[in-house]
Amino acid sequence: MRLGIIGAGQSACTLATELIRGNFDGEILVFNGEPHRPYQRPPLSKSWLKMPADINILPLLPEPIENHASIQWIGEWVKLIKPDNGEIYTEQATYRVDQIVLATGTRARRLTIKGLPPETGHVIRTLGDAERLRQHIDDAKNITIIGAGFLAFELAATLDHPDRIIRIVAKANRLLPQVSLKTADRLVGSTPASTLVDVKIESFDTVSKSLITNHGPVPADLVIIAAGAIPNTEIAKRCGLGTAEGIATNEFMQTPHPKVSAIGEVSLHHQPHLGRSERVESISEANDSATTCAKRLLGHSEPFGAIPWFWSDQGQLKLQIAGLCARSDDETCLISTDTDSVVIRHCGDRVTAVEAINAPKEFMAARRLFERGTVSLSAIIKEGSVFDLLQSSRS
Amino acid sequence: MPQLNCIDPREQAIEVTFNPGETILQATNRAGVDGILAECGGGCSCATCHVILDHTWDGTLVGPSTQELDMLSFAVDPTPHSRLACQVELSDKHDGLSLSVAKRQY
Repeated sequence: MRLGIIGAGQSACTLATELIRGNFDGEILVFNGEPHRPYQRPPLSKSWLKMPADINILPLLPEPIENHASIQWIGEWVKLIKPDNGEIYTEQATYRVDQIVLATGTRARRLTIKGLPPETGHVIRTLGDAERLRQHIDDAKNITIIGAGFLAFELAATLDHPDRIIRIVAKANRLLPQVSLKTADRLVGSTPASTLVDVKIESFDTVSKSLITNHGPVPADLVIIAAGAIPNTEIAKRCGLGTAEGIATNEFMQTPHPKVSAIGEVSLHHQPHLGRSERVESISEANDSATTCAKRLLGHSEPFGAIPWFWSDQGQLKLQIAGLCARSDDETCLISTDTDSVVIRHCGDRVTAVEAINAPKEFMAARRLFERGTVSLSAIIKEGSVFDLLQSSRS
Repeated sequence: MPQLNCIDPREQAIEVTFNPGETILQATNRAGVDGILAECGGGCSCATCHVILDHTWDGTLVGPSTQELDMLSFAVDPTPHSRLACQVELSDKHDGLSLSVAKRQY
């Protein structure tokens, strides 16, 4: 079999690794349009930004996999696919394959801000973005981050420096809407940035180096836009397979076209833990969807059944989330000390997610319990903690 | 270059070179040592890069954080010399350090 993987991020690399370790009988073409070897993305907003400039890359693949005889790396962007013929088109050439896997991921949402010079405005998604940002950090005294999510707060924690003022401005009326109010309060309370919500940005004034907003001018000699991600579905849409929301697949990562699969952040499939279809942006989704796809291509299909999990480093706080919940799910604070907190998200008695700050045992215990099935809030409260519930269910 | 002596879960010995300042995970990942999953990519968030270090090297290492110990308690059969490969930073003095990859990460 000849397989074409479009993209070279986490899910593409996990797929290639799983196929090679599973003795895949065939050729794997990986289309990597970025001018870098496959690299790890999560550190870009964390430790990497503070590393010396000569450390350029955090490789994603082991050398024996990257250099494996069955992988062919193609450093070209894919423009178009024709699934019926198994054809992949780049600017330079046309490739014919038996199966196509779309691992096109997401890209940073960019905002058009009138008057903002290109060297002042940044996004952070790719290594190229991060390299460009790193060159400008040392000279910046006022850094303004536009966004309300984990990335905005991670960047603020990473860029914290006595000579800098960091501000987070958000269009939304609350910060960190993907976590509970309690968890968000803890993270907002510890950020080195000052924060402002309900912000409408009108323009950038190059004379005063400020964002002009409905709250007045916000000084910014560096602006980082961390306003979410957009799924790269254009290639799929051109052959009738994707929408702006993602590329729909079944529980084996297959699109309605028998020759096309989609994995990672771009794939939109049933999440058994949520009980509905949702596109999930996380390393766990990238790995688990790639593993599911690899099993199918190796001839021993198993449906996607993974429980999502997340983590985010925010300075001294380590947030870990087991499970996935709707933003409207209820929250019950289980543990809250000066340093740690554990918040249970739930629908009635059914627990949907556990948000743990500096509480890794609660996070890991929640993952183990979710893997076994439904977790009950009243059972956790009765035992006192998620960890104690796991222990009592073991004995 | 300094090196680590690794034993993978199938008892295969592998010599892995490293750059001082790297973690054990960065070195073993580059070399493709089997059995280290590191699902979170090195963020001390999954406990799937469990390795067991030769105890004679204990004095040269910074001990595990509470976070790492808590994560390790969820590894399969942890020992007093268990570590998460992503949390152990290597320096020149670790040339020759021996370690075994845990038999199972799940």
